[in-house]
Amino acid sequence: MNDHAALLSATIFLPTIGAFALLVLDRKAHEAMRMTALGFTIATFACTLGVLQNFSSAATAMQMNVELPWIPNWNIYYRLGVDGISMPLILLTGLVCMLAMMASWSIKEHVRGYLMLFLLLETGMMGVFISLDFFLFYVFWEVMLLPMYFLIGVWGGPRKEYAAIKFFLYTLVGSVLMLIAMLMFYFNSGREFDLIKLSQFAEAGGFSQELQISAFILLFIGFAIKLPAFPFHTWLPDAHVEAPTPISMILAGVLLKMGGYGILRIAMPLCPYGAQFAAWAMVGIGVFSIIYGAFAAMAQTDFKRLVAYSSVSHMGYVLLGIGIWKVDEHTGGGLNSEYWQMGINAAMFQMLAHGVSSAGMFFMVGVLYDRVHHRDVNKFGGLTQIMPLYSGLAAIICCAGLGLPRLSGFSGEVGTVLSAWSFSPTMAIISAAGVILTAGYILWTIQRVLFGPEYKGPHPEALIPMNGRETLVAVILCVFAFVLGVYPYAMLNLMETTTVQLTQSLQNGYEALQGGAAQVGLLLRP
Amino acid sequence: MTLDQYLSTGNTLKWLLGAAWLLPLVGFMIEILGGYWGKRIDPASNGRKTRAAGYIAVGCIGTGCILSTIALFTWGNATHWGHPGGDEHSVALASHADAEDAGHADPAAADHEHAADDAAETAHAHDTEADEAAAIATTPVDDLHTIEHGEGHEHHANDPYAAAFYGSFYRLMTFGSLYIDIDYYIDGLTLVMFVMVTFIATCIHVFALGYMSEELTEDYEDHQVHLSGGRHFHRPGRFYQFFAYFSLFSFSMLGLVIAGNIFMVFIFWELVGICSYLLIGFYTERKSASTAANKAFIMNRVGDFGFLIGLMVLWTYFGTFQFANPSPSGGSPGLFQMLRAPDGSIAVDDAADPRDVTLHNVDGTSLVRGENSKTIPYMLLIVAGLGVFAGCIGKSAQFPLQTWLPDAMEGPTPVSALVHSATMVAAGVYLAGRFYPMFVPEVLLTIAYIGCITLFIGATIALVATDIKRVLAYSTISQLGYMMLALGVGGWIAGLFHLITHAFFKSLLFLCSGSVIHGCHHEQEMTKMGGLRTKMPFTAATMLIGCIAISGLAIPGTFIAFSGYHSKDAILATSLAFVSTNSGHILLFVVPLITAGLTAFYMFRLWFMTFAGQPRDQHVHEHAHESPWVMVAPLLVLSVPAMFVAFGGEAGPLASLMLTSEPAHLAAGVDSTAVMDVTHPGHETIHGYHNTAGMLALLAAASGVVLSYFFYGRKVVDPNAIREQVPGVYGFLVEKWQFDRLYEVLWVQPVHMVARGCQWFDKHVLDCFADGMAKVSVRIAGLDRQFDEAFVDGFVNWLARVTHGTGAVLKNVQTGNLRQYVMFIALGLVGLFGLFLALIPK
Repeated sequence: MNDHAALLSATIFLPTIGAFALLVLDRKAHEAMRMTALGFTIATFACTLGVLQNFSSAATAMQMNVELPWIPNWNIYYRLGVDGISMPLILLTGLVCMLAMMASWSIKEHVRGYLMLFLLLETGMMGVFISLDFFLFYVFWEVMLLPMYFLIGVWGGPRKEYAAIKFFLYTLVGSVLMLIAMLMFYFNSGREFDLIKLSQFAEAGGFSQELQISAFILLFIGFAIKLPAFPFHTWLPDAHVEAPTPISMILAGVLLKMGGYGILRIAMPLCPYGAQFAAWAMVGIGVFSIIYGAFAAMAQTDFKRLVAYSSVSHMGYVLLGIGIWKVDEHTGGGLNSEYWQMGINAAMFQMLAHGVSSAGMFFMVGVLYDRVHHRDVNKFGGLTQIMPLYSGLAAIICCAGLGLPRLSGFSGEVGTVLSAWSFSPTMAIISAAGVILTAGYILWTIQRVLFGPEYKGPHPEALIPMNGRETLVAVILCVFAFVLGVYPYAMLNLMETTTVQLTQSLQNGYEALQGGAAQVGLLLRP
Repeated sequence: MTLDQYLSTGNTLKWLLGAAWLLPLVGFMIEILGGYWGKRIDPASNGRKTRAAGYIAVGCIGTGCILSTIALFTWGNATHWGHPGGDEHSVALASHADAEDAGHADPAAADHEHAADDAAETAHAHDTEADEAAAIATTPVDDLHTIEHGEGHEHHANDPYAAAFYGSFYRLMTFGSLYIDIDYYIDGLTLVMFVMVTFIATCIHVFALGYMSEELTEDYEDHQVHLSGGRHFHRPGRFYQFFAYFSLFSFSMLGLVIAGNIFMVFIFWELVGICSYLLIGFYTERKSASTAANKAFIMNRVGDFGFLIGLMVLWTYFGTFQFANPSPSGGSPGLFQMLRAPDGSIAVDDAADPRDVTLHNVDGTSLVRGENSKTIPYMLLIVAGLGVFAGCIGKSAQFPLQTWLPDAMEGPTPVSALVHSATMVAAGVYLAGRFYPMFVPEVLLTIAYIGCITLFIGATIALVATDIKRVLAYSTISQLGYMMLALGVGGWIAGLFHLITHAFFKSLLFLCSGSVIHGCHHEQEMTKMGGLRTKMPFTAATMLIGCIAISGLAIPGTFIAFSGYHSKDAILATSLAFVSTNSGHILLFVVPLITAGLTAFYMFRLWFMTFAGQPRDQHVHEHAHESPWVMVAPLLVLSVPAMFVAFGGEAGPLASLMLTSEPAHLAAGVDSTAVMDVTHPGHETIHGYHNTAGMLALLAAASGVVLSYFFYGRKVVDPNAIREQVPGVYGFLVEKWQFDRLYEVLWVQPVHMVARGCQWFDKHVLDCFADGMAKVSVRIAGLDRQFDEAFVDGFVNWLARVTHGTGAVLKNVQTGNLRQYVMFIALGLVGLFGLFLALIPK
């Protein structure tokens, strides 16, 4: 118990300690500060591997539970734990933060401030994925928001103020909606913040249909903004375009996953009835985002905007996979629950895969931007001649985004699409059409940027080959893209038991209320 | 076959073919990494010509060829050449061994002759051949002419699972009871494909050692690419990259063939697609090449979209992707076994609405899940079949997705030979053949018509094309159409038979064209060639062999016939048998028959224009030369199977071997159903039409050749005159039936328009809304400020002012005069008392 508390707390707070450790160093010692910060992110990643070491993929319940009093008067506890849903994302966070830190050498101004905010951000993200107390979750959610605001607003591009405030306000709207929902649950459950207890309460039918529906809508909008799903996505292209490269990596690699994670961890378990009520909406929004994002990506000329829209498209698969919960209209019993499990697993896998491929794509854009200071895809070309290693690695990462088999993007995309037919053939067919559009915009981009006889933009002399640090980041991302692609079972294995458990409890929660509101009164108030 | 035998043989085959499959992947790794780092670690090696990557690639694929041949014989020995149950077919395999001998030992001998002249380049290939010959020589060669035409195959339903082996390499994913594996399914068809692919790939790899040797330089000048300064484009050679991509392709292609489930096929389907993309776009600096590569991949994705829909249906209703489970110990059934009972019938419930199909267990009993037996609506079976076939349309360049293949000729010629004629594009046909049990008659009829349209379109465009590679590309499209047509009219064996023969003669033809292009210094226009037979005699001779083979020529009444004759004869016989019972579909015979004539015409046109007559361009002719031995030897080697691989026709060894994998329901033919009035002919019926079809085909081909001779050989008729008489038709054909323009208007432009629309919507609606909200907030905040300043603050300020004013007035009272204060106090007291007295109740 204590070991677990120490390990999980270390995973969360090691970066914070790192942030304060930086204060000790001389303000001019940039290199030393970067190395220190990198050391802390590596140590954090090592911690996440330690968590994986202690993790058992066979256990159905939450593991490594920690419960320490924080504000016991209000029933707020320091509750931590991991399961199959959070475990892979914790690993992803550790990895992406480490790589983003390695990509942070390009930040030359206010280095200490940057590094400290970066590390605080990592704490916030880890906290979101590990905490099991709604209040704690909310606190970490907000903790993550501020550093991000400053990281975009201070170290960003020309329109950084606009992008930062847009990011901040969008996310804040989501937070406020989440806060309302949180209080709704708190006061309807006998003042409980424990997510596990709340979900058990919901499984027993403890929350009324109306409460569940309204709370689900609030939570869903909050998380859909983060995901981001159409029509809440327009903060993303701006934030990405203006954010510095490493921050874009984190934004795409980790932050977007919080939307999907929030739906799986909070919105659905706490309001199973609401989730079933909104299943069609989730699938519809997901499918629309897939197609819409792909079309929008095709029309972009700014490389980063293009990748940002591809994220909208790719995260649409996550919503699709999560939402395909089909029930019998008369009995309320689950139909094809194996396909739904497949959808959820594939959706989570898609989050991981997208974390690797989109972080990689932003990194690759960043490498170019550091050299020639522009991102217009029409003004590149000929990079296969000038930077062959870069071109090879960039092509691999693009192909991972394209959903090429044996690379990370394939299993998630195809998995969600395959499982979707059992929910709705029409939706499945539309989402499958995304593969054509994706191939279109990615190959067209590769052609314009990498191929061709000569480089067409400014500063051709600056296009020097990648240095060792950049190569290392790109190679690590490629390796992970291959591992996830060739052996997806390594990650799917972690999720499997939890997903089965999740779908069953959701089904129970739905069936408890499905018979009508009459039973609800009996079950209320334990 | 006992379970032990099954397991041990299966294991041997798994490792043999697994090694043959994975070796090219290992090769790819070494080539790409070694090629990249080799140059950088040792800068002194700059400019040194190393063919190491090529040798590694040849070694890998050559070893693969040997291993697959060994696997073939292992399988043959273990299963009595596909008939483990009885001995009645044992004769067939003896003659099979002979044909393999003919197909492989002879090339080895041919290689031998030239080995002395050859440099070390062919050593690998030579070894391969020799080893193969050795492997073959160890098998007994018995009597070869003992069986009559098709005996033993026509009257008995075949059991395709009797000699098949299934197993798993590793698990990809599981979801509850559902799982997807990387696995293998090995039967006669798999092995034939393996040997064919590895053998042809070996030949082409060797050829490429010579063809790509100009890439062995640090300063390659590309005359087709002009830079902004008017200079030509210079770059380091990419010899190692080429062979790395080639190896990767071989790996992907073999993975596709060995796959034991349709999902794994899909995985490698996409991988061959990306390899094809890399190879078409090999000259990345050429805009035309990278555009063609994009086009190829995206059009394939359009097909894969359909494929994916098919997979969804299968996955949802069958819950597995596995083809079949041939294990003697039973177990969970594969797709084929679920759909078809052991005798090959489908259990359609016509009474149900919508029509249902009941699924089976391995033993033919109905499959029960939960309380009900598992069913699939018949309609969805059609959707699944058409979906998977849509993938085949994309990959095999069938109408309406055929336009990518001619553009794919932008790649180097060995690529066209390996990827875009012999193997990858044939994968669509292979899959249609492999997946045959899942196709219901409605789907088959669609396949037949798609094939029929394609073969005609391809052939007509080939009539007017002048680029030597494009003629071959359109011919490939047309021939693939023949295969699809055959599959569609019930000729499973005819279609796959043609797949194999076509692979040999078409790769030969492409290599010959490569030799011509190499010899003419990258001149591809036939209008600048002519009279080359004296300059390159070997190429001319082998290409003539290829032309005869593809045209399907033979000498009637004798056994002298090249491979193409046998397979095309089989196709036409099947379609004649088909239309004789389904007279409404007469076009399915007439069109391919006419096209057989067209085929002969354009192929001989190609040969005459290139090799015969007088040189049309003196400059090209003067510099033309025969290719080096490393390129000529593969031509000679390949010309042998191009002639003899189909020896014996449908009764011959190759066909017999493939027939062991034929789905059970085909031998007797398929009767029409209440809904679908189409009958598929059985073996016996087809056999009855062999002679008629053969003669008609021969007649058509011969007239094509004769016409071609008059047009381009003797030049008694001037093609230009005809061209001028029908300018509309000519222009239509030269413009490739306007498909490219049509798709541009129909798809490409609308997609870009919608894309721009989405961007506009984002910018002008969603962002406008968000920004508008922000503006409204700011405006409200402004009002709030005004209110605050005018009212709230105003009130407070007023209050302050009043207080202040009052204070100012009152301060006059503050005089500091004691007497005045005492008076105030006294007055106050009096006043208070007055108040008390007035207010206190009495």
